[in-house]
Amino acid sequence: MTPYLAVALTSLVAYFIAVKRLGWRPSDLGRALGRMAESLGTGVIFAVVNVLAAAGLVLGLRMLTNRFFSLYSLDDLVWLAVSMLQGWAWGLWRDSKAAPLR
Amino acid sequence: MPSSMLVRALGLATLALFFLGAFTPLPVFLYAMISVPVHIERADAIVVLAGGGVLASGQLTDTSLRRTVRGITLYRDGLAPLLVLSGAAGRRSEGAARAVLAGKCGVPDTAILASSAGHTTHEEVAVLRPLLRARGVRRLILVTDGAHMRRAMGLVRDAGFDVVAAPVAEVAAPTQPEPRLRLLRAALREGVALVYYHIAGYL
Repeated sequence: MTPYLAVALTSLVAYFIAVKRLGWRPSDLGRALGRMAESLGTGVIFAVVNVLAAAGLVLGLRMLTNRFFSLYSLDDLVWLAVSMLQGWAWGLWRDSKAAPLR
Repeated sequence: MPSSMLVRALGLATLALFFLGAFTPLPVFLYAMISVPVHIERADAIVVLAGGGVLASGQLTDTSLRRTVRGITLYRDGLAPLLVLSGAAGRRSEGAARAVLAGKCGVPDTAILASSAGHTTHEEVAVLRPLLRARGVRRLILVTDGAHMRRAMGLVRDAGFDVVAAPVAEVAAPTQPEPRLRLLRAALREGVALVYYHIAGYL
């Protein structure tokens, strides 16, 4: 559990630096976590759509080419990470409408 | 409820699943729900299902090796007179590579039946059925990963065999977050596969 104690410790330190040194408001942290959850949720939607599209592609290729394409090719964590990036980018793009990115 | 709230709720649910998966025994319970208890008895054959093929180096994949060793051990324990080593076809035959390993471990050639055909569990069982019938096999010990066992047993039973489960553990001791998440992933993946097999009419 050592790495997780380190995560807890650095989170605490980061919180105090943000509040005491940088002057960030503690009340904004909840909103930031909400936005994080929203990014994650968008990423999950992308992940589900991606995996369904990929499965359709695999099954379609099997039928069209009469060759075997494995559904196990979908069992890869990279697509999940990429889907999360899609969700993150989507959220940033949407936010840039309200406050243009610098 | 605005759509952003729904998306946020989905994100929170995902976070909750992640933390429950990593830090609680939830994956162990889910895995137990889809796996089949070990119940080994004497049978006519030990059937080791394919497990990812052969690497470019000619070595069996970890999954394939674990299953093969389990099959060889059961044979050496005298639980069946025939060891059936199935495997995916490819540039190098998994079944043949497994047969070589079994031979080196003291299983006589006459007791080994190697098959390298079929890309999916469904196709594999379809290929094995006539081979096993020709050898008079009625009752078999099935060796595959724990999560895969329920689906594989269903197919083998539907093919007309009496099946005994000899699952291979996928994660040795799921007491740390990463092995727990691997177990959760295996359980979820197999859950999806079971649904797919039911929809496709294989089960």
